[in-house]
Amino acid sequence: MTEVFLAGILGVLFSIGTYLVLRRDVVRVVWGITIISQSANVYLVTMGGFGGLGPILSGHGGGGPAPTDPIVQALVLTAIVIGFGTTALALVLTYRVYEEHGTIDMYELGGSR
Amino acid sequence: MSTLVIAPLLVALVTAIVTLLVRPSDILQRTVSLLGAVGYLGAVALLFDAVMLPLGSESGVLVYQVSNWAAPFGITLVADGLSVFMLALAGIVSLLVLVYSIASISAFGQRLSYHPLYHFMMVGVTGSFLTGDIFNLFVWFEVMLMSSYILVLFYSGREHTRAALNYVVLNLIGSAVMLVAIGGLYSTTGTLNMADMARRLADPAAYDVAVLPVLGLSAVLFSVFALKAGLAPFQFWVPAAYRAAPSPVTAMLAGVVKKVGVYAIVRLYFTIFAAASVDLAFLGISGDSVLGFFGPVMFAMAAVSIVLGGIGAVGRDDVDGILAYSSISQVGFIVLPLAVAATAPSDAVAVLGVTAALVYAFNHGLAKSLLFLASGTIQDVVGSDKLSDLGGLADRAPVLAAGFFLGALTLIGVPPISGFFGKFLVFQAAAEALAAGATGSALALAVALAGAILTIAYYTRAWNQVFWGTTTELVDAAIPSRWTLGTHSAAMTDGGDDGLEALELTTQVTVVVALAIAAIGFGIGFEAVFAAADAAAHAALDTNAYVDAVMHGPGVGMDAGTGGGH
Repeated sequence: MTEVFLAGILGVLFSIGTYLVLRRDVVRVVWGITIISQSANVYLVTMGGFGGLGPILSGHGGGGPAPTDPIVQALVLTAIVIGFGTTALALVLTYRVYEEHGTIDMYELGGSR
Repeated sequence: MSTLVIAPLLVALVTAIVTLLVRPSDILQRTVSLLGAVGYLGAVALLFDAVMLPLGSESGVLVYQVSNWAAPFGITLVADGLSVFMLALAGIVSLLVLVYSIASISAFGQRLSYHPLYHFMMVGVTGSFLTGDIFNLFVWFEVMLMSSYILVLFYSGREHTRAALNYVVLNLIGSAVMLVAIGGLYSTTGTLNMADMARRLADPAAYDVAVLPVLGLSAVLFSVFALKAGLAPFQFWVPAAYRAAPSPVTAMLAGVVKKVGVYAIVRLYFTIFAAASVDLAFLGISGDSVLGFFGPVMFAMAAVSIVLGGIGAVGRDDVDGILAYSSISQVGFIVLPLAVAATAPSDAVAVLGVTAALVYAFNHGLAKSLLFLASGTIQDVVGSDKLSDLGGLADRAPVLAAGFFLGALTLIGVPPISGFFGKFLVFQAAAEALAAGATGSALALAVALAGAILTIAYYTRAWNQVFWGTTTELVDAAIPSRWTLGTHSAAMTDGGDDGLEALELTTQVTVVVALAIAAIGFGIGFEAVFAAADAAAHAALDTNAYVDAVMHGPGVGMDAGTGGGH
């Protein structure tokens, strides 16, 4: 049940992110990237399974439930740190685009040249 | 011995940090940066020596387990023939480009942390070549890309910010997709270590691995690598980004960073996923192996890249544009023999295909960085790279023209320059596959031939427009008299510190000439390059040796578990 629910949520998050990336407004594009990368992180967490328990088990010495995979948590931690850096850069870049062109509208920025 | 694996990584990292610390002194920073690049090449040479020599014999595999954690659990760094071959290219090109950038990047630009960023980019490149862990591949990619974002953004003019925005947004989406694919692979195979993954995929029943999802996830991952390599249909960011970045950065992006995507394709699809076999027939694409599925995909992408890039280059009206589109086309030429190798009927043809791809990648790294640097020098001197503004440069700047000419000949493929052998091997791989009865290799030959003709067409056009013909007013004003190395007059630099500017331009031209000499040198001594590429291709295709070295190598197995605790 949790799997289906989370899969649905992830689908919605990815589609919101994609929708925002395709907007005219550069700030929304940056929002879209942030949402996409965050949903990638959530996806990564779900790959560890849904035990819902910490690695420290309540029932020691046999018979304990399977713990949640800690590796994916470590991976997500790394991915989040990288995500912070790139989001900050993207925001600075947005500000720079505004300074340079006086607009953050992709259409007004024109083609790639 | 195995600590040698991390030497290039450490040299690049230490150089990056020290250049950051000595930022107040321009001269000191340049010196440290240059010494770092020389040290990097030295470290790579030592590693190359340890893995490859004697040339022609089977290459070894050096493994470094970080903190002595055994393979599937710890972080592993692996240097095999393929890694050191790519590192050698990175070492040679990065040193020469750095010398060029010391001359061409202004003092103000240097204060904007050009040198630390350059070396951090090299840290990312080196890490990507050496890592034996698929999640760390993502991390090293990010290190490389983060530095490249800022280097592409280096000039903050109107066009540049717009192009850099595209580049950054596209790569951030690519990173998210890469993360999703890696997460899926971890969930399916239960491991992140490449060697462990190959081992599990080779025997899926024993490890309870479903191979079919791996095929889909590896296809998702492939799109990310194709994006980094600038392969059609993910090529659209290339021209704008290459135009925006300073010329030495463009030379690095085309010469080295693009090759990281190519390396990742060879490493993951030929060493790791090749171990897996699936029963699948999908839209007429069928094969009994994961690799066999990627053969037609690679072929289609390579063919479209070659034709699209070639036609695009013929239609451009500026030198950088021609070179950028040419770069798309040439990456197609690198992937084409890989497609042949993926569907190869025999091991010999597979090795030949990968060898051809590696030799071509090596030539392209040298030649394309040469051409971008030559174009950058023209822009520095004349102030424009529009074909209509240029003409008669061969008369005014013969040394620079000779350098450009040799670079173009390398990519066209004229003996005895090394480019000839690259192109020859591509044709040979396709022809041998045809002789062995592989379907579609006739088509591969036809595409390669069309691409070769297009290459001749656009370089002839660039050469005729820029270096021959009548001298335009712009060129006449910029270079009033014949200008060869060291003898040009101060009149060509308007005001300012003439002596220094003349020295800087001389350095720039010298680097272009040095790259041209390297291209000829590797052509004359091609046997060594071929032997190295051949060993690299064998290493790339020998999954068992890779897995053995990582999983059961010296210092890893039972001995390390019981006696390695001191």
